[in-house]
Formats: sequence, C-alpha cells, structure tokens
Amino acid sequence: MPRTTTLVCPGCPPFRALTFDSLGLIKAVEVRDKQRGVPQVVERWGDPQSSKSFIAVSMIDRNSNPLLAVARKNGQIEVLSPVNGDIQASISNADGLDIPSQENDVTGLHLFTKQNLESDSRDCTLLTCTTKGNASIRSIELADSSTGSSCIGSSKTWNVCSGGNILCSKVDGNEKFALFGGKGVEINIWDLDNLTKIWTSKSPPKDSLGIFTPTWFTSATFLKKDDHRKFVGGTNSHQVRLYDISAQRRPVLSFDFRETPIKALAADIDGYSIYIGNGSGDMASVDTRTGKMVGCFTGKCSGSIRSIVRHPELPVVASCGLDGYLRLWDTNTRQLLSAVFLKQHILHVLFDSSFNVEGMDLLPSKEQTPTEIIVTEEVEASPLKRKNSSKNKENILDGSERKKKSKTSKERKKSEENGAHEKTASRDERSKAASKKRNKNSNQGL
Amino acid sequence: MGGKRKKNDESGNDEVEEETRSSKKKMRTEKKEQLRPSTIKNKEKRSEVHAKLKRQKKLEKRAKAKARDAAEKRALELGEEPPAKKVPRTIENTRELDETVCKPDDEELFAGNDADEFSSILNRHHTPKILITTCRFNSTRGPAFISELLSVIPNAHYFKRGTYDLKKIVEYANNKDFTSIIVVHTNRREPDALLIIGLPDGPTAHFKLSNLVLRKDIKAHGNPTSHKPELVLNNFTTRLGHRIGRLIQSLFPQDPEFKGRRVVTFHNQRDFIFFRHHRYIFETKEVKKTESKGKKDKDGNSENVPENKTIARLQECGPRFTLKLISLQHGTFDTKGGEYEWVHKPEMDTSRRRFFL
Repeated sequence: MPRTTTLVCPGCPPFRALTFDSLGLIKAVEVRDKQRGVPQVVERWGDPQSSKSFIAVSMIDRNSNPLLAVARKNGQIEVLSPVNGDIQASISNADGLDIPSQENDVTGLHLFTKQNLESDSRDCTLLTCTTKGNASIRSIELADSSTGSSCIGSSKTWNVCSGGNILCSKVDGNEKFALFGGKGVEINIWDLDNLTKIWTSKSPPKDSLGIFTPTWFTSATFLKKDDHRKFVGGTNSHQVRLYDISAQRRPVLSFDFRETPIKALAADIDGYSIYIGNGSGDMASVDTRTGKMVGCFTGKCSGSIRSIVRHPELPVVASCGLDGYLRLWDTNTRQLLSAVFLKQHILHVLFDSSFNVEGMDLLPSKEQTPTEIIVTEEVEASPLKRKNSSKNKENILDGSERKKKSKTSKERKKSEENGAHEKTASRDERSKAASKKRNKNSNQGL
Repeated sequence: MGGKRKKNDESGNDEVEEETRSSKKKMRTEKKEQLRPSTIKNKEKRSEVHAKLKRQKKLEKRAKAKARDAAEKRALELGEEPPAKKVPRTIENTRELDETVCKPDDEELFAGNDADEFSSILNRHHTPKILITTCRFNSTRGPAFISELLSVIPNAHYFKRGTYDLKKIVEYANNKDFTSIIVVHTNRREPDALLIIGLPDGPTAHFKLSNLVLRKDIKAHGNPTSHKPELVLNNFTTRLGHRIGRLIQSLFPQDPEFKGRRVVTFHNQRDFIFFRHHRYIFETKEVKKTESKGKKDKDGNSENVPENKTIARLQECGPRFTLKLISLQHGTFDTKGGEYEWVHKPEMDTSRRRFFL
C-alpha cells in the first residue's frame, strides 16, 4: 500500500499568538482546547496591501491593558490593542520626508513597559531605530478611540552609528540598555537613561589566511532577562557569537551553524540555551555554556526562518518564516507540536501570554509567587508525560501491532470463507465453474 | 498487495458480478495459500507453475472485461445509466492532502498576487526583457540550446558570460532594464541546470534540467515563427507552484499573437515541469472518420457527433526538456547570504505521493 506521511502532531497547550505577514495582515492564532488542541486562526486584522508590510513589532505582554506596536514599510508606526486589533495611535516615522525610503525603515522598535506604569496609563513610550541608525525615544499619547489623533510628546533622538545599516536592535529586560548591530556595524550597547554608548564589540581577528570577514550582524538577543551583560549575536556569515561585556570585547564563544545566514535568534527562559534559525529553514537549540548543539528541530521546514519566540511560561517555542507556516515546537523534546499554514510570508510572531481559556484555571502570570509557579510546572509536566505515553502507544500501533491486527482479521476472513466452501475440490475446477457461471450470467444479461 | 488492489477495483461493481465475487474470493484465498512460484527452486517446475498462474490471470481478466462490457450493453438496452467508468488510481489522484493548494476564492491569494514581484509585468505595465547567459564554460549542446531558447522566448538577448560574477551581471541587467535573467548551466558539455532570476528584486529559481532534446533531434519537427507565443501552464496548484508559474509567466509577453499559432507549454506533473513547444493548426475532419472513432471510444454515443468536427493538429518544434525545482530563493542570486523561500531537503521526501508544486 502507498507509503504516506502521517502527520503526528500531538497538539499544543492553550496559547494565543499573533503573526505579522508580508501583506500587512495580523492574524491571531489560538488554541482553545485544554487537551492538546489544534491551533486555528481566530482573527485577522488589516487589509492586504504590500506597502503595509511589517518591519518591526513589539508588545507589552501583561494582563491589564496590553499594547502592541508595529512599524510598517510605508513609514507608519501604529500602536494597537493586541486583544481586538483597534488602532490606538498612529504616527508617521518619516519626519519631514514624504517618501518612505529604505533608509527610513524602522528596523528596531520597542515599547517600554516600565515608564508606562509610572506615568499616566494613556501614554506609551517607544524606542525606534531606523536603518541608518537614527534612534529615538518618544512618548505617544494614546487616542481614546480609533480616530488616530495622537500627539508626540517628549522625544529624544540620537545617532547610533555613523555608517552601515542597523539590522537588529534589542532592549534588555530592565529596559535600561539597548543593543544595536547590523551590516557594517559592530554591536554596541547604549545606556538609555543617559544616552551614552557604554560598550562596543570588536570584530574577530583575521583568520590564518589573512581573510577578514566583514561585520554583518543579522540578529541578536540578550541571554537573560535581568542581565544586560551577556548577549548573543548571529551574523550573515552563519556564525553565532556570545559576548560578555564584563569579560572582553571580542566574543567569548563563537561557532558556525550550517551554511546560510543566521536569521533569527531567541533566548530560552532558563538563561543559557538559545534557539537559532537560519536562511534555509534549519532550526536548532544550542547550550551557550558549552557551545554545543543540543539538537535540531526537524519538521520539513523549507523556508527561511524570520522569527523565533519562546513562550514565557509554557514549554513551547514558535517559529515562522518565508514558507508561510507558523510552527510550534516542544522545547524539551524538540518535537513539532503543530503547524499552521497562514498563506503569506510571515515576518514576525509574538505570544500573548495573558491569554487564558474561559473556564480553565488561570495561568499564572509573571508577578505571581514562586509556589504557584511550581504548581504550573507540574501542570506543564503532566501533559508532557501524557503525550509521551500516547506517542509510545501510537508507535506501537503504527508498527507491529497494527499489522498484526490486520493479519488476524485477514486470517479470520479466510477461515470463514474456507469454512463456507470446504466442499469444493481443487481450485482450478472451481475457477472454471466460476467463469462458466459468469458467462452464463452475462448471457442472461444479454 | 495485489489482492487488496483487486478488492478495491471490485468494490464498485453491480449485481452481475455479485455472484462471481464470492467465488473469486475463494480463489484468491486459495491462491494465497499456495506457495508462490518464486519460492520453487526447480526451474522447470517454477516456470510451469508460473505459466499456469499467468494463464489463469489472463482468463480472469478477460472474463471480467467481458462481464463489464455485457453490463454496459444491457444498461444501454434498458435505457439506464451505464455503470460508471472506473478511474484507475494513480499517484496524482491519490496525492497526499496539501493545505497549501490554492483555492479559487482566496482573497489573500489575489492580494498577494497584486503585491508580488511579477505583477507589473503580468499587468502589462512592463514588457519582459530577458537576458540569457551561460556558465563560464560552455560548449556543444549549450549554445545550440541557447539559440533555441532565443527563438522560443521573444525579446531575449544572449550575452557572453565571460568571467563576470553573476552578481555583477544582475547589477548590469538591472541598469539596462531587463526583467529576468536566465542562466544555462552546463556540466560535461551538457546543459544540466537552469537559473531564472527575476529582476529587480524578484526571486531566484534554481531548476535541474534533464532530458534535453534539441530541435534537430525531434522527428518531423517544425520551425517556429517569430510571433509571440501562447503560454500554457498546467497543474501549478500550490502556493509554491503558483509562484513558480508566475515566475515562468513573467518570461513571456502577455499579449500572444494568435495568428502565429504557436504554443509553449509548461506542464507540471509530480513536481517535474515538462517544457514543450508546438505549432498547431485547426482542421475540419470528415464525418465518417469521426463516427468510427467515436464508436470505438464511447459505443453508442456516436449519433450525436456533428457533421464536421474540428480537430487540432500539433507539430512539435523547439527544444524539449524537463525541469525540476531545487530551490527558490528570496531576492536575487546570492548563494552566501541568500534566504530561501523553499529549498528541497531530503527529510521532506517522506512519500511518493507528496508534491510541492
């Protein structure tokens, strides 16, 4: 019988994720089922238009009043509500310049959580950085409804680099420091309170042949939430480098990953392992303490990975990219939990951790006490176990047992038939008789 | 395996074979019990058993066909609907379910089409202008193939590769307003790969090229005229296939001259894209011939055949080759820093019934 691929997708724990695609559509993907559900697209916001394609996204992920900021290709920066997709503020990034050009693309975007809490809740503060390296911190007053009237409050602008293109920027967990890096720009770290550059990385020395690989950072991420000193950068020459500010300016650790440029990096919540995605759709997790690869995520992923996001609580990591799939992986087993086809090139994905299913126990948020977190870990662990056991069962079923079953059923059939026609002698005679019978029948039919 | 297949074939039968089925089942079970001829070591004995089995199979088949014909005839006499023709199971129609297959009512697909790199050419805002070049070493079949490609694709220009980098050529072509670049890669004096680069920022498709037959090797071939050809793109169903189809479509002018009666076909079957180039002509045929033909095909339906029937006659001209997609790269040619939209990986070959185009 035909050999077919049975998609063994164990399903996902309940979550909500937002995907941002190349046509400027935001799609909300949810799993509502408590028991290993299949993710589905529940909402779609925006009109399909190529000029509204996303470049950078950022979200304040919290239970009350979450906010989402997106930077589009046409120079617009919008602040939305991740719950219902209402536009709360919209500003044009092209200051004075009417034509949105490549240089004015906002490649880095960050919504500050901290300042938002201190001041009026109707305000939000944004860090933006264009390709040319013009970074600015602005605060935007949110409009009451989707009228779009918003005024830009205080604004601080500075230049991050003198030449080259900024391709990646990140803000650390305490929102005091930001890193910028890109094509021809070494990673530099800025103190956001004083707007001073505190550290710049140094390119690795020439190799034994005297060849110098040009600086081209494509992605970067901080390793820990509360530590700005350690971070990882991925380069276009498929190298992953670990930097430690307190140690040295050259990378503490660097290793190659496959043959295509590193396109996405994400840190795990444990603080040492990272997830790497590259331009040909390979994804792996690496332990930065040793620099050894823990394992690859294999799941027929054929397009470049643009974004990897770790769920803040559940053991789930999401990846998306140019093949139009949102894939969800188990972080422990590195098994594909499920894949959703979303039609366009997906440029970004974000988890909305405040999502919880009606009727089910509230998923604990970050603010809760450690005792409750332990409880959640148990909750997390139990479905895993269940899944493993079910998988084993499936394997058995897939393998010998199913065959056995089919065999036994066949044999039973045979025996029944034999019992019914035991009196018939040799097979040849019988076939002759049968053919005669058939002929007779056909004659009758005529 | 064979037994199971037969069972499936029989499942759609009518009452005439109802009786025979049970007897057949008996036969089949007994056949299973009997040892297979391949296990017999004595050659004479083996061939004897084998011949016997073969003859039996033949008889069975003939009887089945006869019964089928009889049933059809009877149904016709009674004025009933003839039993439905059974469709053989092929790899294509048992294809694995693919969620990326384009649906006709998908508005995101059309929006995506409007936004993609080829829309300006396909909406006739730009006329395609093709640059054809080769790899650095090029001899015998390569130039011959290129000269035929030049005759197939209108507004195509051949440039010697020289020692230029492909990235330099892409830059040059961008400045000269070319819309696509085709690179014919030759290995051991035989063209073996085709690279189609969309310009200015379109994707780069890398194809394996095989089974190349040049025009002069095709029996009774025609010589194409310089009219703009019509284009037939078959079976590009999935998202990826759709994109490849549009990439190919953007090589040809969008206003075919039907006067030229020239047609270029890209037929996708099981992820292989077959290229054919034909001239066609419509001819009216006599009644007699069509009737006899019709009778052969559909039995009694021949009464409805019109007096004169127009048929299309084809004459093949131009090269004949097969393409297979290896990778589709986002952006123009860049092997080191390129991002792939699709790249074939061995882990994807899990089934013979899984296709990507």
